Amino acid sequence: MSVPQGAALPNVITDGATGRRISLLDWQASNRRMSWLLGLIMAALLAAIAYLLAQVTNPASAGVFVSVAGVLGVGQTVAAYWFSDQLALGASGARPATKDEHRYLVDVTEAVAIGAGVPTPRIYVIDSPAPNAFATGRDPQHASIAVTRGLIDMLDRQELEGVVAHEMSHVKNYDIRFMSMLAATIGVIVILRDLVLRWFQFGAFGGPRRSRGSRDRSGNRGQGIMIVLLIVLLVLGPILATILRLAVSRRREFLADATGAYITRNPEGLASALEKLAAYQGEGLEVSEGVRHLFIVNPLARHNAMHLLATHPPIEERIDRLRRM
Amino acid sequence: MATIVVLVIIVILAIMAMGVYNRIIRLENRYQNAWSQIDVQLKRRVDLIPNLVETVKGYAAHEKEVFEEVARSRSALMNAKGVNEAAGAANMMTAALGRLFAVAENYPELKANENFKMLQEELASVENKIAYARQFYNDAVLQYNNGIETMPGMFFAGPMNKKAAVFLEIPEAEKEVPKVSFAS
Repeated sequence: MSVPQGAALPNVITDGATGRRISLLDWQASNRRMSWLLGLIMAALLAAIAYLLAQVTNPASAGVFVSVAGVLGVGQTVAAYWFSDQLALGASGARPATKDEHRYLVDVTEAVAIGAGVPTPRIYVIDSPAPNAFATGRDPQHASIAVTRGLIDMLDRQELEGVVAHEMSHVKNYDIRFMSMLAATIGVIVILRDLVLRWFQFGAFGGPRRSRGSRDRSGNRGQGIMIVLLIVLLVLGPILATILRLAVSRRREFLADATGAYITRNPEGLASALEKLAAYQGEGLEVSEGVRHLFIVNPLARHNAMHLLATHPPIEERIDRLRRM
Repeated sequence: MATIVVLVIIVILAIMAMGVYNRIIRLENRYQNAWSQIDVQLKRRVDLIPNLVETVKGYAAHEKEVFEEVARSRSALMNAKGVNEAAGAANMMTAALGRLFAVAENYPELKANENFKMLQEELASVENKIAYARQFYNDAVLQYNNGIETMPGMFFAGPMNKKAAVFLEIPEAEKEVPKVSFAS
């Protein structure tokens, strides 16, 4: 372990995606800003949907609809901030690692945390043979790292350090908070969409049409526009949010690779670990859609490696960039 | 009018000066705090040594030289004052422990001892943490030194009486490949 003094300025990392040099402090600040911006956008979106919903059902109660939506939005943001890590850990079946049982993992994580200058995160193990890992939480003081049993078994010490350092980068750079907020945003929109579609099925919006005569035609047309707007918002919302997520998430992975390599001073460790992860052909890791983007490699990569909507850059490209550092 | 402009400029300069001052203090605190991370691991290692020496003595009591070397480095570390002295003693201890484990290679029964294996693993993990802590310390020192040696911090370093901090040397012994024993 040697320190390449002057070789790389601490806290300045070359962004693999654009080749630009980025200050990690700027990146962290941008992540924090974006997290709260997302919360605001979601609240606004909810309010808009609620307003439209009120217009097509009962315009007189618009105020009530919007306030309920506002409370929901704020509640969801606060809940995401505090509990999303528990949700992600629960959804992936992670259980806390113990010093007795997973001594190797705990030692490696503690060491890497020292190198990264963050408190040791809580460490979890997922009982799956598929090698994978993710980080979650809201800030470095409240962070968790989860790795699968397959990852511990498959990697040697340097490779495991590389993967843990990659996850530690997500923690240190507040990616975890951003990802939690983003997941919550998408989650709420999807729930609303499904709810409204269900209402349509039960004919909740057919009411005014059946009681023809209580409204004039222009009122009906206005209502039609509102319904179209509502549907567009509900259908486009999740798509827009997903595109946003993809754009930021791929870049984030490159940056976390670069930061991880910097923390361990050993790009080859992570490169060789990624190689092993890419070559894995065994049983997949069954996790719900909502937490898939958190993992270091896509849990379903075998099935759709060339998928246009991949949350991760191609693994070969990541390995190549690490090897060229 | 002119006085207002002058006043505004003075206020802006004062705010900028405060920013630079705070930054230097923050960087200094960080590298000094980084040292405590190393210190914690060094203390852990010191605590592990009596147990290790007892275990090894049970199988190789006559290897007095290496025990003495370990004991010397241990007391040097415990009595060390300041970062540089402690870092020097820590490097001495790393070398002494390396010698001890090399000697242990010659005693198959010792190598099979559960307690010894556990201590060896624990010490390897502590060594790894020391390496990471030292790396983080050097990072923090580099940032601090850059902070007080470049603009605008360099104008403040003198009046604030801040001097560049010293990097920790990585001991030569650690860069070498661990020696394999040649037990006949």
